[in-house]
Amino acid sequence: MTKKLREALVTSPSFIWLTLFFAIPSLIVLAFTFHGHTANGGVGEWSLSTWRELVDPDYPVIVWKTIRISAEVTAWCILLALPCAYAIARMKTKWRAIVAGAIMLPFWTNFVVRVFAWKTMLHPDGWLQHCYFAFLQFRAWCFEWLPPSVRGFCVWSGLASPTPPDPASSTILDSETAVVLVSVYTLLPFAIMPLYTAAEKFDFSLMEAARDLGAKSFYAFRKVFIPGIRQGLVSAFLMVFIPAIGSYVIPQMLGGTNCVLIGNKIFMRAIQNRNIPHASALATLMAVSVFLPLGCALWWRRHQAARDKREVEVRAARLMLGGTK
Amino acid sequence: MSGFLEFQGVTKRFGHVLAVNDVSFSVKKGEFFSLLGPSGCGKTTLLRLIAGFEQPDEGRILLDGQDITRLPANKRSVNTVFQNYALFPHLSVYDNIAFGLRVARRPKDEIEREVAAMLRLVQMEDKADRFPNQISGGQKQRVAIARALVNKPRVLLLDEPLAALDLKLRQRMLLELDLIHDEVGITFLYVTHDQGEAMSLSDRIAVMHSGVCEQIASPAEVYEAPKTSFVASFIGDTNFFDGVVTSFPENNYCKLDINGFAEVVCYNDKQKAIGDRVNLSLRPEKFRVSVDPPPRQNPHMNVLRARVEDIIYSGNHTNYWVSVGARRVAVYQQHLGYLLDEKPIRWGDDVWLYWDADTGYMLDDYAPIDESLLPPKAPGGAASANPFTSGREDGAAK
Amino acid sequence: MRRSFFSMTMLGLVMAFLYVPVILIFAYGFVPNGVSMSFFGHDGRFLGFSGKWFGLIFSGHYSVRPLLQSFWLSLRIAGLATLVSCVLGTTAALALHKWKSRLQSIHYGLVYTPLIMPDILIGISLLMLFVASGIECGFWTILIAHVTFCVSYVTMTLLARLQDFDDRIIEAAYDLGAGPWYTFFRIELPLLLPGIVAGGLLAFTLSIDDVVITSFVNGAGTNTFPTYVSSMTKHSRNLPAVFVLSTLMLLFTCALVGVSKFLTSNHEPRRKA
Repeated sequence: MTKKLREALVTSPSFIWLTLFFAIPSLIVLAFTFHGHTANGGVGEWSLSTWRELVDPDYPVIVWKTIRISAEVTAWCILLALPCAYAIARMKTKWRAIVAGAIMLPFWTNFVVRVFAWKTMLHPDGWLQHCYFAFLQFRAWCFEWLPPSVRGFCVWSGLASPTPPDPASSTILDSETAVVLVSVYTLLPFAIMPLYTAAEKFDFSLMEAARDLGAKSFYAFRKVFIPGIRQGLVSAFLMVFIPAIGSYVIPQMLGGTNCVLIGNKIFMRAIQNRNIPHASALATLMAVSVFLPLGCALWWRRHQAARDKREVEVRAARLMLGGTK
Repeated sequence: MSGFLEFQGVTKRFGHVLAVNDVSFSVKKGEFFSLLGPSGCGKTTLLRLIAGFEQPDEGRILLDGQDITRLPANKRSVNTVFQNYALFPHLSVYDNIAFGLRVARRPKDEIEREVAAMLRLVQMEDKADRFPNQISGGQKQRVAIARALVNKPRVLLLDEPLAALDLKLRQRMLLELDLIHDEVGITFLYVTHDQGEAMSLSDRIAVMHSGVCEQIASPAEVYEAPKTSFVASFIGDTNFFDGVVTSFPENNYCKLDINGFAEVVCYNDKQKAIGDRVNLSLRPEKFRVSVDPPPRQNPHMNVLRARVEDIIYSGNHTNYWVSVGARRVAVYQQHLGYLLDEKPIRWGDDVWLYWDADTGYMLDDYAPIDESLLPPKAPGGAASANPFTSGREDGAAK
Repeated sequence: MRRSFFSMTMLGLVMAFLYVPVILIFAYGFVPNGVSMSFFGHDGRFLGFSGKWFGLIFSGHYSVRPLLQSFWLSLRIAGLATLVSCVLGTTAALALHKWKSRLQSIHYGLVYTPLIMPDILIGISLLMLFVASGIECGFWTILIAHVTFCVSYVTMTLLARLQDFDDRIIEAAYDLGAGPWYTFFRIELPLLLPGIVAGGLLAFTLSIDDVVITSFVNGAGTNTFPTYVSSMTKHSRNLPAVFVLSTLMLLFTCALVGVSKFLTSNHEPRRKA
C-alpha cells in the first residue's frame, strides 16, 4: 500500500533517530546495572553485585534527600505560582501576553550564568548573607520562647535548630537553603505557565456565582477555583518535580559538600570514579522516582479528567442552588 | 434513465458504523439537488465520497458516464464549498480564487480574466487584496463559492455552506446562491440539515436517515406526500394516526378506526383493503378549529368535538393543541379573517375540529410510530411539576 | 477585590525575585574590579562603571579567548542542532498528526518520553551508548545529544500548532486539483512556518542553555559556553566577561524573538497583481 509506505517514510527520520539515541541508550543503562565493574573503569561480567552494593547506607539517604528537597522546591513553586497565575488570568488580554512574556524573559539568559549570578549574590560577603544571618538569629530568639513540646517538633521537622547560629557555619552558599532557593528561582516559571494556562481557561463567572451565593472570596478560591484548575496543578507539579529530582548543576555549584543529590552522585560515579554500573543503577533509581509520580499522575488524569469537568460544573450548580455544603 | 451524477449501491462503513447504506440515485445535469437529513445521517459522508475524500466500500459513483469511484480527489472535476469555508489563511482573496487555476497551470492572462469574472459574480471586486481573516463570514462564503466555481466543475458540492452564518445573512445568501445557480447552470449538490434551505432552493431533495435514502422527490412532494414516517416528521410538523380500515363509504375513500379516537374518513390512494393497518399523516395546518359548528361543504369533511388544551398565539397564526378522547392533536390555524371579530377560543373550551379527508396522506408502509418523531408537546400538560405554576393549573382547567 | 490585591502583590514580588539576578548580570558586566566583583573599593568608595570587559570581548583579547571559543562552539552546535531538529521535528509532527496507527502511538511515546526524562538521564544514557560503542566524545556527540532532546520540543510545539490547523484546508487544496507535493509546499509548509520558527527558536535556546547533558558527552577538552562557565569559580579573573557575553546574548535573543513575532503576526500583502 502506498499509504503505508508514505506513513513509514514520514515517520522514519525521527523514529530512527530517537530509537538509536534515546530508546537504545536507555536500555543499555538498564543492562549495565546487571554488570559488575572493573578496577580500570570498564564494565565487567554479568552479575547482581551492583544492585547488592546499592544497599550501602549512603544511597538511600541520598535518594530520600533528593525527594525531600524536590518536594520542598515543588511546594514553594506552586505556592508562589498560584497567586501569580490567578493575577495574570484576571488581567486584560493584552496585559496577559505582556506579563507572561515578562516572566519568561529572564530565562533567555544562560542558565549557568543565572546560577552564577546567584552564587555571586550569596557569597559570604554579600548582602543576602547578612539578611539570612539576621533571620537565623531571629529564629533562634523565637525558639527560646516556644513551649518544649513544639520545640521537639520544630527540631524534628528542621524548622529550627536547638543551637544558636554560628556565623562561620551558617552561610547560605554551600547549604541546602541555597539549593532550594535557586531551584525555586529556576523552576518557578514552569509552575506559573501551566497554572496560568489553566486559569485562563477557567470560567471566572463561576467565582462570581459562588460569591453571589454568599461564599467568601477565599472559600470561592478554594472550592471553585482550585478544583477548576486541577489539571494545571498536576502539570505544574510534574514540570517542577521532575527537573528538581534530576537537578545536578545547582547542587554542584551552590550546595558544596552539604547537598549531594542523586544527580551529583551519578555524575561522580560516571565521570570521576568511572564506575559505570553504579552510575547506571543510580540513574535507574532516579528514573523510578520520576516515573512513579508520573505514572500515578497519568493514571489519575485519565480517570479524573472527565469526572473533574463534571464535578466543577456540578459544584457550581450546587452553589447556585444555595447548598454550600 | 441514467443521470449526470449517478450512485449505484454505494455503501460506506467506518469501523462497525454503517454511514451510508446501499444508496442509489441519480442527479440530472444542471439540477439543484439537496441531501437533507439530521446530523449523522450520512449526507456529509456521501458528499465526501463524491469529492473523493473517502472511498466507498461497495458500489460505484458515475459522473457523466465515467466511473470516478477510485479517482483521487485532485483528479475529479468536482469542487467543494466547505462548511467552514476552508479558505487558505495565508493567501489573499484573489490568490484563493486563483489557486485552482494556478494548479492547472493556466496561462496568466486567462487566470486574471477568470478570477476577475468570478469576483464580479460574487460582488467581491473591491476585496481582492484582503486576507480571509479580514473579511466577514458572508464574504468568506462568497470567496469559497468563487474559488470552487472558477474551475468550472461539473458538479459543485456545497457542505452546509450557510450553517455558520447568522439568520439574516443566511436568508440573503440563500437568494444569492439561487441566482448564482441560475447564472452558471452547473449541477449543485447541496448538503444541509435545514429543511427550509433545502425546500426553498432545490429542484429535488433526497431525505436521508441513518445512512439510507428515504425519499427522493420535489420539495412539494416531499412535504405533501411523505413516503415514510421519518420524512413526514422531519419535514415540517405532523400528526400521526395509526388505524385499521373498516369500510369504504365511497369510491377511493375509506373509514379508519383509530385507537382512542373517532372514526375518520380519508382518501384511499394506496388501495388498502378492509382490516389493513394504516399510518395516516395529517399536517397541523390542514385542520381548522372553531367555536361555531363548521358549514357543511363537502361529504368528505371530518368533523369532531375537541377540547382546547394549549394555545400559542404567533400573530399570523395560532397553534392549538386540542384533545379528542385520549388523543392530542396539533392544529396550526391561519387567521383568514379579522381575528378580533371572531369568537375567541380559550383554554378548556369545547370546539369543533374539522378537516377535509383529502388533506391526509397515508404512508407507504405501516410501521409503529416512533414517539420521538412527533412534534414537541406544548408546555402545560406535563408542567404540573413546576412549582411556580402549580396554583394556576386548576384555574386553567376550569 | 481583596484577593485580587493580594495576588497582584505576590505577582510583583515574584517578578522582582525573577528579575534581580538578571539585573545583576547586566550590572556585573560593568564591574570595575573583576576579582572582588564589587563596585566598591576596600574603603567603601564607589568606583564607578567600567567598559573594559566589553573591550576585552570585542577585541578578542587572549585572556578571554577560551571563553570566546567555547561560545563559538555553542553557537555552531545550537545552529546545527536547530536545523536538524527542525527537519526531524516537522516530519515527526506531520506523521503524528496525520496518522493514528499503532506505529504512531509508539512514535509518540518515543517523542514524548525525553520531555519528561530528567536531562541527566538522557546525558548518562547517551554516554553509555558512546562508551558501549567505543565512540570518542567530542563535537559530534554533543551535536547528537542536543538534537535528541531538541527534536521532542520542536515536535510538541508543532503538534500543538497542528491541532489548531483546519484539516479541511488540505482537503480544499486537493479538491482544487493540487497534488500532495504542491499542497505540502504551497499550503502546509507556509502555514506551519511560524510553528517551525517557534520550535526552532526553542531548540536553539535549549541547546545553547544546556549544561547537564553536554557535561556527560563533551569528552575531555571540548567545552561549550555553559560547561566552560560552570567550570569557572568565583575568583576566575574573567567572570565579568561572562556576564557581558550573556547580556549581549539576551539582547540578541530579544531582538530575534521580536523580529520573529513581527514577521509571524503580520503576513500582509506581498502580492503583485
